[in-house]
Amino acid sequence: MEKPNPTHSTSVNGKIRAIICFALLSLPLAGQQSLDSAFRTAGTAVVAAFEAQRQVLQTSSAVILDGRKEAGYGVVISEDGYILTKASEVSQVAKLNVTVDEKNYTDAKVIRVDAIWDVALLKISASGLIPVNYAATSAVPQGTWVVGNGATTRTSRRLLAGIVSAKIREIPASGGAVLGVVLKLTKNLLEIEEVGEKSGASEAGLQKGDFILKVEGKPIKKIEEIAELLKDRKGGSTVKVTYRRKKIETTVDVRLAARAELFADQQNRNDQMSGEYSARRSGFPRVMQHDLLGSRLVVGGPLLDLDGRCIGMNIARANRAENYAIPVEDLKEIAARMVKIDTE
Amino acid sequence: MCALLAPMAFAGESRKYFNDKKAPGGRQDLEAIQSAIQEALPKVRAAAVCVLLGEGSGSGVIVSADGLILTAAHVTAGVKKKVTVVLEDGTELKAVSLGLVAETDAAMIQIIEKGSYPFVEIDRTNSARLGDWVFALGHSGGLDKERGSVVRLGRMVRMANSTFQSDCTLIGGDSGGPLFDMNGNLIGIHSRVGAQLQANMHVPMSEFITHWDGMLKSEFIGEGPFAEKPEKGSGFLGLATEARPSGGLRVSKVGEKSPAQEAGIKEGDVILKLNGTALETREQMQGMLKEMAKGDEISLELLRDGKTKPYTLNLGER
Repeated sequence: MEKPNPTHSTSVNGKIRAIICFALLSLPLAGQQSLDSAFRTAGTAVVAAFEAQRQVLQTSSAVILDGRKEAGYGVVISEDGYILTKASEVSQVAKLNVTVDEKNYTDAKVIRVDAIWDVALLKISASGLIPVNYAATSAVPQGTWVVGNGATTRTSRRLLAGIVSAKIREIPASGGAVLGVVLKLTKNLLEIEEVGEKSGASEAGLQKGDFILKVEGKPIKKIEEIAELLKDRKGGSTVKVTYRRKKIETTVDVRLAARAELFADQQNRNDQMSGEYSARRSGFPRVMQHDLLGSRLVVGGPLLDLDGRCIGMNIARANRAENYAIPVEDLKEIAARMVKIDTE
Repeated sequence: MCALLAPMAFAGESRKYFNDKKAPGGRQDLEAIQSAIQEALPKVRAAAVCVLLGEGSGSGVIVSADGLILTAAHVTAGVKKKVTVVLEDGTELKAVSLGLVAETDAAMIQIIEKGSYPFVEIDRTNSARLGDWVFALGHSGGLDKERGSVVRLGRMVRMANSTFQSDCTLIGGDSGGPLFDMNGNLIGIHSRVGAQLQANMHVPMSEFITHWDGMLKSEFIGEGPFAEKPEKGSGFLGLATEARPSGGLRVSKVGEKSPAQEAGIKEGDVILKLNGTALETREQMQGMLKEMAKGDEISLELLRDGKTKPYTLNLGER
């Protein structure tokens, strides 16, 4: 992938402008025939062919609710109530409720967050849940059917079906990986003027008025020196930042995040035609891509193959035509690691 | 007789049975759809290309071994324009836009570098039916070499004479890319989208076949909305000339920052030929330029210091 150019923040992915036209659908088309909505790809009659996979979503996917409002989905990974979901979406939830199958759980807690993958581990007080069955590999050919959560009713899960649509790959941080601070030069020192709301700097406790002294142990005198140090870093990775506050020096690990996702919500034309997409949609170490006709709200749940096995976890709706899922190999590793830390 | 039989050869690959079911009945049908697309993909992927033109990017598909490409009119936006075509393996090739149909968004591009290119078969029998399973390829959002072109599955949800609609979701960058039936035959070219995810419009192959010869001859067919007809006489070169008794036109003045100056033409140069035609009078050159439009490429043969030298430049806007 070409290197994103930070000076061109309007082209969110650092890509060149893509061509497309808009046309009004209300234009009368002479002699047109139209397919009844039930028989379209996301229609009820087509979706009915995936009843076996829907049963898996019914028992092994979780609905993440804010009060009674749908906020996303989750992957049930243990009988006793561990659930994985998309961290940046669940962090927006004020009153966390979780539904698995027909039962609602009001005691759901966020146990920990993996900032690199944007995955949160939740725990509900439950027993006898049916965790997902992991598929052997995510390395399936393009065109392979995949199934994920669609909208839901209070008691019943619905599904969306689509196919694997591109190569498994890294999605670099859009606009480059940054600490998420705005700096100014004060008496030859770099003072933090602003801390990005969802930035790694904010998570690490950096505040306005702190002075940044070192990055990765290297003394920093100019803003450009930080940019140079972070040039080849990946979104989601961490760097050591030494700062001074009230004469005390402290060193913290700061997660790097995509510039385009931290500052200025500038939409390009593809964003405008995409409806709602995930706020965090870049900076993933590895994703598989599929074409489910979903919305921003159907992220966080399992991606199933035709055997009903979990082949990945939906992690971002990037745009109208592209959805990302964490491949099963990585998902298993994330799940095992997060649960292990919690049970130790 | 042979001509009549020819299309039958294409239809010889039988229509997939699942297209005649209103919806898949279960696992067996789903697997049949999956194997059809997986069987077709490797061949058609190799023929799907990214089209780079100016600052923009679109998609296209190769339909002959010598590199004829079908795309959308709003991708090329004009005839005889230089474009770059990128193959699946990242190879960049020089190409030129041929004709287009401005009302329905059909266009052709020809790769001008010699080679034997992977290509797809066109559905010449207009065999697609409402409800058929189809799949789309395209460089969504622009070229991404790590990702490659993106495949999406859907059904034919609306059909009219000059437009197909599918629920394969398209986005900017997909324009001009191919829509295939489940045998991997080309049935449409991506044109535009509506606000809903199910609203993705394609130009049917019948539209290309109707205007095939005209497009091959680089004709600009019809008027808008997908391409703006170049306005004759809107081109600007930016120099003044006087006829020379011994033939050719002597450049007497070059405009500041004009296309002529930017191409390096200087006062005192002698223009011997314009687009291969030997020049005798000022009126002759003016007459030729009047037939051209802004953005058109011209070639000049210049005489300077006793040596002739070819120049090519694009006309600016008057």
